[in-house]
Amino acid sequence: MKRLAFLALMAFGVVLAQSGTLELAVDGSPAGLDPHKVTAFSSFTIINLIYDGLLEINADLQLEGALAESYEISDDGLTYTFTLREGLEFHNGRAVTSDDVVYSLERILDPETGSPQASRFTQVAQTEAPDDRTVVFTLSEPFAPFLANMPNLYVVPREVVEEHGDLQQVAVGTGPFMLGEIVPDTFVRLDANPAYYRSGEPGVAELRFNIVPEASTRAAGLRTGTYHLLPDVDPTSAETLRRAPNVTVLGTQDLAYTLLGFNTTRAPFDDPRVRAAIGAAIDRDEVVQAVHLGNAVPAGPLSPALTDWALDTDAYPCYAQDTDAARSALADAGYPDGFAFTILTFGTNRVVADTAQVLQAQLERAGLDVEVNVAEFGTFVQDWQNSNFDAFVSLNGGNIDPDGYLHRTFITDGSTNVFQHSDPELDALLVRGRTTADVDARQEAYREAQMLLACEGPIAHIAYGTLFSAHTAAVEGFVQMPTRNLRYLRNVTLNR
Amino acid sequence: MTTYVVRRLLDLVFVLFGVSVLIFMMLRAIPGDAVAIMLGANVDITPERVDALRRQLGLHLPIHEQYLRWLTDVLRGDLGRSVWTGRPVADEILGRLPVTLQLSGMALVTAIAVSFPLGMAAARTRGTRADAWMRVSSIVGLTLPPFWVGVLMLYVFSIYLPTWPSIGYVPFGDDPLGNLARMVLPVIAVSLPMIAALTRILRSSLLDVLSLDYIRTGRAKGLAPRSLFYKHALRNALIPVVTVIGVQAGHLLSGVIVIEQVFAIPGLGRLVIGAINERNYPLAQGVILTATVVFVFINLLVDLAYAWIDPRVEYG
Repeated sequence: MKRLAFLALMAFGVVLAQSGTLELAVDGSPAGLDPHKVTAFSSFTIINLIYDGLLEINADLQLEGALAESYEISDDGLTYTFTLREGLEFHNGRAVTSDDVVYSLERILDPETGSPQASRFTQVAQTEAPDDRTVVFTLSEPFAPFLANMPNLYVVPREVVEEHGDLQQVAVGTGPFMLGEIVPDTFVRLDANPAYYRSGEPGVAELRFNIVPEASTRAAGLRTGTYHLLPDVDPTSAETLRRAPNVTVLGTQDLAYTLLGFNTTRAPFDDPRVRAAIGAAIDRDEVVQAVHLGNAVPAGPLSPALTDWALDTDAYPCYAQDTDAARSALADAGYPDGFAFTILTFGTNRVVADTAQVLQAQLERAGLDVEVNVAEFGTFVQDWQNSNFDAFVSLNGGNIDPDGYLHRTFITDGSTNVFQHSDPELDALLVRGRTTADVDARQEAYREAQMLLACEGPIAHIAYGTLFSAHTAAVEGFVQMPTRNLRYLRNVTLNR
Repeated sequence: MTTYVVRRLLDLVFVLFGVSVLIFMMLRAIPGDAVAIMLGANVDITPERVDALRRQLGLHLPIHEQYLRWLTDVLRGDLGRSVWTGRPVADEILGRLPVTLQLSGMALVTAIAVSFPLGMAAARTRGTRADAWMRVSSIVGLTLPPFWVGVLMLYVFSIYLPTWPSIGYVPFGDDPLGNLARMVLPVIAVSLPMIAALTRILRSSLLDVLSLDYIRTGRAKGLAPRSLFYKHALRNALIPVVTVIGVQAGHLLSGVIVIEQVFAIPGLGRLVIGAINERNYPLAQGVILTATVVFVFINLLVDLAYAWIDPRVEYG
């Protein structure tokens, strides 16, 4: 009997800590690895496994300690004191001290670095390191989302930056995995960090991110076991993979949402009545069925995943779809015969292009003459940045704090306010939301802001899709995150 | 002969110059530059920083100055650096060129090795059912896009032969068998249209030659049919076939670019598609220049092959 049990163990294999190579397939190569410089999603997929901030976001979208084991906020909301964990080490073996945190923030704020993260930390007036494990940030004004930005304060070692000029080609962090090898357009290999600060992790010895641009190739590779895990699967492939033997398909609510944005400096979109009329013509449920095969929810200005902040979409009057009401609202606004306009969009994301087409049909039912211009992605970005559009359909990433998305997008002259929208009432609410420490007062401000934005804002929010991942039976312990962050690969083990 | 080769190589200089102007202008005619793409759609960044990035990449200069700068560097043998990775463009290309050359070379050899027996068999069995079957299937082969064939084969293999390594690439030096196994599907997908084209042209060219007077004369004076077919007919029938091989080699390169995407093969095709999408100007320019050189050399080899096949062809 004992012998049988032993044989069974031999046959099915034993789960060992840090053994085996987890093969992943992703669609793009990382474009540089400097956590303070890059913007590409494909880069952050890798960076988030190599580097840590002081805090991290968990699967429930709550903040918890990463490099910091605790923090304190002064009563006036101006001083944040963080205590680092004991015995932290960079991948090169050097101990992490609070000086490294100070250096990293200085590097982010240095205009020479040109860091896209800089605007998250402009309220920091002073950073001090009173001892090796304590960092004190003093803000110039209260800034409620400050903690939510802590995961983006990636801590890097000064000597490596100075030796190489930047961190685009080298990577020395504190995370569960260390950069092993990059073969461009082929794979990125990460090796387990034996000195990682969480005990028992990571569970595999190597991660190999295979770069496979074709979705059907990735799916075929998962079926054959060439790959163990596909972090991002499109809805159609998810449906077919569901029927494949030995494949598990996971789904979670995506923080990113599709949207129809308007140029509020161009007539007739400068008229809030016209924007509300278009809102009434949109049938979000139809988009959910036609584009997402039912795997989505209608979108308001904030993701339902932000349970503390988001209003239910039933709260918005214009979300009751009514084509006749849309027609008469357009007539009241002076457009009894509708008008013609063009929706700018891009073709590399199937969900986005399909959404544009469904919206086109819906708006034409309300008497509008809509043309869809599917531009090449670079062209789209250029026109988007220059506000060179009547309207556009796109996909926006989300943020765990409402300020992270609402402020830059909707405040007058905000960095991504390409609509050139300007509403003093909304501006006041957005400022109140970020400068008030009291959570109830913040919630009230964002409730009002959502009501203002839902119907007459420069964006008609369309749908929050489902983010699908798929893995083979060999993978255990994979947890999906709505932010698409793959930090929890550190928990994954392989049985063979 | 030598003068001819030298003259053709001088032509190459002009071709390259023309191509360099064209790709430089065409890439810049696409809206959006590397900085815009790099920053993407969801980023906080100041206009000053955007200007600084453009300056760093030399994108603030007037376009003719940018061209002159680049051309001067290229003439010195410096293709510049990739905007995104900072690695020298020449290194990026040299890393990929062998992969694409192996795939194209194997596809070319396969196409010739398969189409010659087929074309000859079709010509000899003209009017029979076998001939009709071959004609129909060659039309089908010509119309099937390599992309579609590739995806289909991948899917079929993933279900019925899941152990076959069909995706990706390993260098021949690391794992010869693994390398060849991964080449099988892409080579079939890329070479199918070429097999079809060569079979058809060889068949019709052979039929033309076989109806000529000297063949009838040969037959009348009692030459062995085998020797008549291979020694007298086939050689003469090859001239149009060689022309088609030259043309098809160009199509082959474009087919390889697409098939590299499907099978996740890290060759020049993947490199150039990524470079264009990212507006990585130096990299895209470098790859296209390299492809032009390869293409011109293939055409030169084809022209030289005429002389070898047909002694009447002279180069002056």
